[in-house]
Formats: sequence, C-alpha cells, structure tokens
Amino acid sequence: MSAAGEITGQDRSILHLEEMVLNMGPQHPSTHGVLRLVLHLDGEMLISVDPVLGYLHRGFEKLAENRTYLQYLAMISRLDYLSGIFMEWSYVRSVEALMDIEVPKRAEYIRVIIGELNRIISHHVAIGDFMLNLGAVTPFFWVFRDREDVMDMLEMVTGQRMMYNFMRVGGVRWDLPDAFETDCRKFLKEFPGRIDEYEQLITENEIFLSRTLGMGIIKPYEALDYGISGPNARAAGVDWDLRREVGYSVYPEFDFDVPLGLHGDCFDRYKCRIEEMRQSVRIVEQALDSLCGGPVNLKLPPMLRPPAGDLYRAVESPRGEFGVYLVSRGGLRPWRLKLRDPTFSAISMIPKLTPGYKIADVVAICGSLDLLMGGVDR
Amino acid sequence: MTAEVLKLTAPEVLEHARELLGKLALDLIISDWHVVIEVGPEDLPEAALRLRDDKKLSCKYLSTIIGVDYEEWMETLYMLRSQDHSVPVRLRVKLNREQPEVPSVAYIWSGANWHEREAYDFFGIQFQGHPDLRHILTREDLDSFPLRKDARPHRKRRRSGQVTGIEEPVRLPGEPDKRERS
Repeated sequence: MSAAGEITGQDRSILHLEEMVLNMGPQHPSTHGVLRLVLHLDGEMLISVDPVLGYLHRGFEKLAENRTYLQYLAMISRLDYLSGIFMEWSYVRSVEALMDIEVPKRAEYIRVIIGELNRIISHHVAIGDFMLNLGAVTPFFWVFRDREDVMDMLEMVTGQRMMYNFMRVGGVRWDLPDAFETDCRKFLKEFPGRIDEYEQLITENEIFLSRTLGMGIIKPYEALDYGISGPNARAAGVDWDLRREVGYSVYPEFDFDVPLGLHGDCFDRYKCRIEEMRQSVRIVEQALDSLCGGPVNLKLPPMLRPPAGDLYRAVESPRGEFGVYLVSRGGLRPWRLKLRDPTFSAISMIPKLTPGYKIADVVAICGSLDLLMGGVDR
Repeated sequence: MTAEVLKLTAPEVLEHARELLGKLALDLIISDWHVVIEVGPEDLPEAALRLRDDKKLSCKYLSTIIGVDYEEWMETLYMLRSQDHSVPVRLRVKLNREQPEVPSVAYIWSGANWHEREAYDFFGIQFQGHPDLRHILTREDLDSFPLRKDARPHRKRRRSGQVTGIEEPVRLPGEPDKRERS
C-alpha cells in the first residue's frame, strides 16, 4: 500500500482487485434466447457490459429479396416467435399500403381480436420469465396455465399455436370458427380475476418489491434518446402508443387506456404489462361486440406486383414499435425490406442501465425489459 | 384514417422544416404522410441537430436507420418521430456507392450507435466519427457486405466453386428471364 493509502499496481493483483471478465450467455437461462453479455466486474459489482448479438441471425432481410410477397408471409411470423401476429400484421399493412388495398371491415376486427390475444400471451411469457429470473417459480406456472387457454383459442382460429401465418394481403386466411366466440367470451370473463391473482401473488410480494423498486431506472428523455418504445417507454412516462397516436386498423373505434409508469424502474415495467393485459381484454370485448358480417379477405392474384415506391408501416407490438420499411421497384419480389425491431433498441440501452449493479440485478433488469432475440438478430 | 389524431399536419411540418433547414434541405416532399427531407452527407449532422432541438418539430426519437442499395447509388434513411405531433420525419441521404461515407449521428441520438453499426454491417457504409464501428449481427471475419446487391459468398463457400452468395431464385411465370436479356 502506498503512503497515501491507495492500493496500486502489484498490490492490486496480489489482492485480486483487478477487473474480471465474465461471459453471461449465449446459453444462459436468463438471457431469453441467445444473447451474450460480456460483463466486466469488480468483485460482484458491474463496471461495464458489452452485449454481443447475432447468434440467431438468419438473414431475414436478405431472404425477402429472394421471395415473392406471399412466400415471405410464411417466414415472417418466425421472426419474433412470441408475437408472430404483429410481425405479419405490419408486413401485410405495408404491402397493402403499397398496392392501395382496402381491407374488409370484418377482417380488421378479426386482426384486432387475434392481435390482442397474442399480446396477452406475449405478456404472459414476459411476466413469467421475469419472475423466473428473480427466482420465483410459481408465477411462471400460473401464467403458463392461462397462456394455454389463449393458445388453444389461437390454434382454433389459425391452426397453429405460435407461428400463425394467419394474415393475408387483403384480409385474413379464413373466418373465425363457430365455437370461438363463446370460448373467447368465457375466457374474457374469467381472465381479469386471474390477473388479480397474479397481482396478489407478485405485486404485493416483499421480495419482489425489494428486487425491483428503483432498479434500472429509465428516464423519459433517455427512453426517447435510445429509441425505446412500447411498455418499456410507457413505464418511463413516455405517453406514446401507436394504436392511439396513429390509430391504424379499427383501433380508433375502441375505448382503451394507455397505462403509464411513474419512475421507469423494473417494477413499473412489470406493472405496465399487467395493466396492458387488462386493456387488451377490454379491446377484445369491444371488438367481439362490434364484429360485423361480410367477407374476410379479398380475391387477389397469387403473384402480387406492387407498383414502385417505398413506405414504412409500424404496429404496436407487445415489445414496442415494430416497423417494416418496404422498397418495391415494380418486380415480383421486394427490392429491400427492413425490419425495425423494438428489442434491438432496448438491448442497446443495457450498457447504460446496468453499471453499478450486482450480477443478480443485471438479470432482473434484463428480465424486466422483455428481451427476445428472434427479432433482434433477424 | 390518420388525419383526426394529428396535432400538426404533414404540410405544416413540411413548411416549418423548409424554414428551419433553409439551404441544407435539397428536397422536401410528402410521401405517404411522412415528410421526407433530402440532405447532403456533409450537412446531415447540422440538419439532424436542428430537427432535434427545434421546439415545434422536436424529433427526439430516432426509430431506426435504414440502408438501401439501389445499384446505382446508396441511401441511408433516418426515421424520426416526435412526441408532440405524429407526423414522422424521414431524413434521406444519398451516398456514392463506390465509397459510401456519411457522418455519424451517434452523438445526437444515443440509439443511433447500434443502428449505424447494423448499416455498416450489412452495407459497408462508413459512419465517420462513430465511437465503435464493429460488426453487430454477422460474423467478425466476414469479408463482404451481405445486403449489397453484389454481395459475395463467404470465402469458404467461394472455394467450393459457388459464385453468388445466395441461390438464384426460381423464375416465376410472368417474370423476365435474366439469361435472355443479357
């Protein structure tokens, strides 16, 4: 030790005070897929973190240039596999806008119903995984029990549990089956009670509160600066929801609230998702009430040839703004397709959010951001 | 569909941007209710700063940066939004395809850091002044830029005699045959 009392040079290595580099992932149960975090640690305290992406890179954008507009539809719900409907929706919207197609009203209602049910199961996974990251196993089984009910309904409608391939340019694949409405209404009646159960189990739990309150705070201006959207931004107090601001599809007809957080910490992000599930229930109820008759899709030629042009269409996916930028030069295949994924921006904020916390808190912060690598790596 | 929720309309935003940017803007158009502003590569940081700090436009949210290869030229697009009005603003920069270079805006929007890395990764666009321009999604030893129209396969596949990076798509009915044209 030097005279001034500082620990320097050789002493640091004798005392093992030097920085330690630890790889978290790519196969780590708390990284939601294959995210690798290179942690630089001082003891258990985090100095800096470098996220490494690309382990799930499948070249979605290049593959689009090689397929017709309809062939690509079968792929795109594999992108973000927990909320496939929204990926399809935003792609289909961009092609429809490019070709100037008006979608039948009934198809729009069906899209909203399926989309909001998809949002509920996506938030189920977000909350269940977040709890699992914090070491609570019971909530995971509770949300997955309820998730199964919704998945059964989605399977009844689309034929698949996760990779729906249900949207079509100009509508949806087929009409709702007869048994769907009774099943859905039964679920909507029961579900708010089950959300109350989650809240009893989680929101009032003291361990949960001490792990999440004041952790990983995102300020509103930081959220905008980093391009964070969706529940993560709304938890920080950014009052922005594309369903309300842009009002695409038939959303302007429905009455729903946009839940906002106060502090932007892990707890607010969790709470925002819980409240969004309640709002989704409200929207599905209203959509079922106003469901009108008529066709569910348009007769279009099998080979779509949109006119030359470029445009950007976004939807509010469970993780935030999911957008598709489409360039057509008049051919049978897209010239360029860019997929804007909300989680990509959320991960870019981890190096800013986590330094100064312990490893266990890094796991909590990553869990609360609801990361999903399928959309990030594309 | 969208008109009733806007607090500012697209023509108003366009007029304000024209005043704000002056000579920096080479071209301003409304495309599909987005205001598209074309600027030269050297004027990009100045235009971006003005759009971000203006009280009326306040484009504080950068949604994404998009690279496009048009074979004759390249483009980067900056998709901006504001919380105060819902007219998206799109900055468009045309680049020389042989030597695509554009100043980085990572110090203007922190989120731009990774979006620029992605555009570099896929198109080889050099963002001057970027703090950490590395590959982000593809492997580090990749010696080609995969989303360019003339992308080459990885050298392992090149050695095995493959000429192009991806398989030629099957010719569809109604599509011109490339072999006949050449």
